[in-house]
Amino acid sequence: MAKIDKAPFEEFLIHEARLLDDRRFRDWMALFTDDGSYWVPAVPNQDSPFNQASLFYDDRDLMKTRIDRLEHPLIHAQTPPSRTAHIIGNIVVESADDEAGKYTVVSTVMMVEYRDEQQRVFAGRQTHTLKRDGGGFRIAQKKVDLINCDSAFEAMAVPI
Amino acid sequence: MLDGHADEISRLIEPGRVHRRVYTEPAVFELEMERIFARAWLFVGHTSQVKNVGDYMTADLGRQPVMMVRHRDGKVHVLLNRCTHRGPKVLNERCGNAKRLTCCYHGWSFDTDGKLLGVPVPEGNTATFQNDQYNLARAPRVGEYRGFVFASLSPTGPSFEDHIGPMKGNIDDLVDRAPDGELALDVGMHRYVYNGNWKLQVENVLDSYHVPFGHASTVNQQGVQFARREGDKEGAAVVEVKEKKTATSWKDRKSFIVGNGHGWTSNTELADGKRSSPAFDAYKKALVEKVGAVRAEEILKPRLHNSMIYPNMSIMGLNIHVRVIKPIAVDRTEVTIYPIRLLGAPDSMNWGNIRLLNVTHSAASFVQTDDLESFVRAQKGLRSLHTDWVDISRGLGAEDADPEINAVRGLATHELAVRAQYKAWLGYMQGAA
Repeated sequence: MAKIDKAPFEEFLIHEARLLDDRRFRDWMALFTDDGSYWVPAVPNQDSPFNQASLFYDDRDLMKTRIDRLEHPLIHAQTPPSRTAHIIGNIVVESADDEAGKYTVVSTVMMVEYRDEQQRVFAGRQTHTLKRDGGGFRIAQKKVDLINCDSAFEAMAVPI
Repeated sequence: MLDGHADEISRLIEPGRVHRRVYTEPAVFELEMERIFARAWLFVGHTSQVKNVGDYMTADLGRQPVMMVRHRDGKVHVLLNRCTHRGPKVLNERCGNAKRLTCCYHGWSFDTDGKLLGVPVPEGNTATFQNDQYNLARAPRVGEYRGFVFASLSPTGPSFEDHIGPMKGNIDDLVDRAPDGELALDVGMHRYVYNGNWKLQVENVLDSYHVPFGHASTVNQQGVQFARREGDKEGAAVVEVKEKKTATSWKDRKSFIVGNGHGWTSNTELADGKRSSPAFDAYKKALVEKVGAVRAEEILKPRLHNSMIYPNMSIMGLNIHVRVIKPIAVDRTEVTIYPIRLLGAPDSMNWGNIRLLNVTHSAASFVQTDDLESFVRAQKGLRSLHTDWVDISRGLGAEDADPEINAVRGLATHELAVRAQYKAWLGYMQGAA
């Protein structure tokens, strides 16, 4: 495989994380393909979102319902809202098919969330399945494998 | 300070109100651990979680660690997860499979029925040492109904039948939905914690009053919730938007109480005639083939929303699951929610159920997160010394006997179920050791 220029992928992942940190959830959703999905498994090495429980498994319809709720004035779990800071690193382009315009990018994500006098950290490995779209990319699937995915969580209202 | 005398406990509960200390006072919590969680029948797990010989799962009954293990003869044992030598938990994983159970500290080793197999350096044992004096302790009483295993850590008290009898129909309602008449809790779990008392979750399960406002962010501009069952296009009408009030159909929901703190809420009627999807249709076909069309219609007719088997388990009939409530401290609670796999149903139907449960009850779900916010805020608000009393009087005196079943009924937006829970609570808490 020819040496891949990581820069456009890194730029894309940072852009995606920035949209989440800025609570621009609709713009974030628009990054996904029409059949795209966002998946946060609830056990390590979970091989399918269908046959087991997941923390998140949203297609575009569910993403929209989630975001409608995030924008609802009476979402008590976001009063006050979360503030988040993502940092993305250790980016590896695991597979690249330039002809099909399909890429798999693995990276490490940390998200610090502050809300209502409490701060907590989420960390794990994220796998983006990306499709080339003009000069940029769209997300066919974003999967976040949290290191503590099978622990008991306090309420989580915003995507990681 | 509370010393556990019955009259002092009884002063915490009055008609239509409970004292704030039942939620905030560490001494009350300590007493609950002794008098409720070390005595009552508690849900431990489902036999499908220990399907094969050597399979185990660990749990806490109150704060006491136990294990459920399947022995070579197929029998499921509920044992105390405490080495009989110096006390460490013997099993440390949430589930797994083991040929023998070995303590990490000195290597004492037990069979899957709890029998002590051997200890390292046995020549150091006293002359009178006998292995069978050191078997893992077993839960004094264990009962099972259709795969649901309950245990009591007290050798005496009401029988399993007395405890579970009034709720058997609610378990049947869930299990009968499986074309093979059997279900499995083997498709993962949701786990969440909150900084609040365990009873806040127990009360909430049968509280239909909170839904229109507490879950306002889950309904659309027409006041209708999103679909929560496979095959539905939309969920229940919760709010009448123009009038800005709770929907009439929601207000019609009923609560039923049957003693022992148990009870349930009825379901809002949904568009059952129109319920259809490839997964649901295939499931319905499978069910009809097994039980016939008439019985299948009965089974599929939504009857129950939540059923509470006091004090630590509930069943939801809408988007099906089993919930287990575990107190950790007076202001800390952990909850586990198991999706249900209906044996004999097509995978697509089970997958639909799993998927919809992510949406409503994962720690990142649309519904549960609002409830958790209310529990946390309740625990904070109850620090207030302005008043000692928490009001649970809605519908007080409006209950009546259901002539068809041996239950007392009222409206689900009333608080009879909460009052019934405190009646049972008081019964447990006043019982001297």
